[in-house]
Amino acid sequence: MDKCDTTDVLVIGMGASGARAALAAAQAGSRVIVTNKGPAGRSGITLTAGGGTQAPFHPEDSPEQYYEDTVAYGYQLADRNLAWALARDSCDRIHDMEGYGVRFRKNEDGSYLLSRFPGHTYPRNISFHGGGIGMLGPLKNSCLKHPNISMLDDFLVTGLVTGADKSVCGAVGWNLKTGELTCLQASATILATGGCQQLWAVTDCPADSTGDGLALAYRAGARLVDMEMILFYPSVIVWPPAAKGAFVHYEFLAADRLDGDILDAAGRAVLPKNPIPVRDEAMRLMNRAIEEGRGGSHGGLFWYVGDSPKGSEFVAQQLDNQQYRYLQKQGLDPVRDKIEVAPGAHYQLGGVHIDEQCRTSVAGLFCTPEAAGNYEGANRLSGSALGGTQVFGYLAGRSAHNWAAAHGDVRPDRASLEEEEARVLGCMTAEGAAPDMAPLKAELRRRAQDAVGVVRSEEKLTAFMAWLDGAEEELAVLRVPGQKFHQPLMELTELKSLVETARLVAGCARIRRESRGHHYREDYPLRDDSRWLRHTCVERQGGKAVFSTCPICMERRER
Amino acid sequence: MADVQKTRAITAYVYRSGKAALEEYQIESEYPMSVMSLLTRLHETDPTLACRTSMCFHGTCGSCLVNVDGRDVKGCTVLVNPGETVSLRPHSKYKVLQDLVVDFRQPLAAEN
Repeated sequence: MDKCDTTDVLVIGMGASGARAALAAAQAGSRVIVTNKGPAGRSGITLTAGGGTQAPFHPEDSPEQYYEDTVAYGYQLADRNLAWALARDSCDRIHDMEGYGVRFRKNEDGSYLLSRFPGHTYPRNISFHGGGIGMLGPLKNSCLKHPNISMLDDFLVTGLVTGADKSVCGAVGWNLKTGELTCLQASATILATGGCQQLWAVTDCPADSTGDGLALAYRAGARLVDMEMILFYPSVIVWPPAAKGAFVHYEFLAADRLDGDILDAAGRAVLPKNPIPVRDEAMRLMNRAIEEGRGGSHGGLFWYVGDSPKGSEFVAQQLDNQQYRYLQKQGLDPVRDKIEVAPGAHYQLGGVHIDEQCRTSVAGLFCTPEAAGNYEGANRLSGSALGGTQVFGYLAGRSAHNWAAAHGDVRPDRASLEEEEARVLGCMTAEGAAPDMAPLKAELRRRAQDAVGVVRSEEKLTAFMAWLDGAEEELAVLRVPGQKFHQPLMELTELKSLVETARLVAGCARIRRESRGHHYREDYPLRDDSRWLRHTCVERQGGKAVFSTCPICMERRER
Repeated sequence: MADVQKTRAITAYVYRSGKAALEEYQIESEYPMSVMSLLTRLHETDPTLACRTSMCFHGTCGSCLVNVDGRDVKGCTVLVNPGETVSLRPHSKYKVLQDLVVDFRQPLAAEN
């Protein structure tokens, strides 16, 4: 170990929830170190957000109604305590966001401009300027200014370390700026690392969304639930390469918006109209068309508003915003072109199991959404993701502070430190070329898109899991040459995280023998409440992933 | 937008800090590529080429800041057409970590 630092609270990941957790812990009086794999405020999933969040501000709305809508929209799989915490605290956390400098869209009288999105009983969606960076920028600056917070970005956490009692005491990581293997000793550790959307070949999330925190939690023995629950989005762009990963709005195809279509290669409409199907139904229809060979040469179908009865002038007006101007800069004309799209991984609904203090099943380890996953169930309300980062970021920060204050300084077990050091250094070689990991990664993503995508089956899931065993063996023998800015070590770590996470997703998908929300089994196409009002769950036991089910917390402790 | 286009070479001269010099890369493309997507492709063929790969898909985060043909720009919204040649260096305002990767928290000159 080249370096050792000690702190009260370690936050791994500085997206919207990590930044909020760091601020909450620091404001309560803890020393905080917050790490980020990439450059702070310039990487991670938060930046891809559109700029919508939600809270029950409408005069006829209430936390109670918001709670009911959340549970219903999640197909009854939500932990009731967590859904209540979200509903109860959202308004306060929006006020906090404003205090940090996020600028919300308001009416002339100063009240928040509210819109109504699917699933909301009352208008509940609030938007802020600037998209993801409009939120993360102010939070990041607040962290930089706070005297209790140290920020370590371009820092790759490689593993958690534990005490003799197996409680988590911090983490080990590679400082990409200095080339130092560093131990960060902490009384409380918060995982705020986001989702694993890179696992799928088609995704609108950035290259660093590789589920590293999920792998860390799993290896530390934490329980993860509902890993099969992934929110897919119908119209993620697959071609041209410059625009790949951006998306066009599926909702805009509706007759009362731009009145467009999803077309196959022959120009035939793939979806019914009036109304356009709900997202998960639309994606199954798109998936079938692609499997039948009706897709384009890059595996997608075509989003098209070019012959809208509303005329191109109206369409151009509606598409005059940052997102579509960015597409124009990639050489696309969304007003006139047929844009090749496919269903892509958008958001991780399941994840690490937490209680209403954001504690995981491992002592000393806390987790926030999107990495935490037992409050959204099989689908989530539009805008709830960002709201969740602030509600649970705050709760995790406070809880971690309280834990650190109660437990004082902790010391990682020497064996745990040595094991982690050996694991990292064991991946390295003194000389030789960096291994070419791109083909294995591409194959993993292609197989995941097929096996744990929009349509699942026992056969495909079993075959995928068998393939993963081979992939894991292949990765175990790879060695990367040492260097300071260790991008090869980062990519090897990320690929291992993806393979590990893939197993958790596939195993949970195989357990849930029913269809619910975004999880669709063609061999079990119906919803079965008599058996499946439960979480799927997975824990590491004896070095292996053990899959089962566990009860959903149905009792709200607070009223 | 034509369905089938002929592929032509894009030539990129990329700064390598190990050699303190530009290295030549070539890829075939039938479609214009943003500098960011070009670098993603180059990194796949040469994993030792250090570059930023995270994207926000909005043109706002600045992860892609790079110097193209002598100008500091956002790499995600600069297109290179098939048949063209570009010269890529690290963004001139930040300390270089390796190749095109800079440390955004170590500006070389005081920022406003």
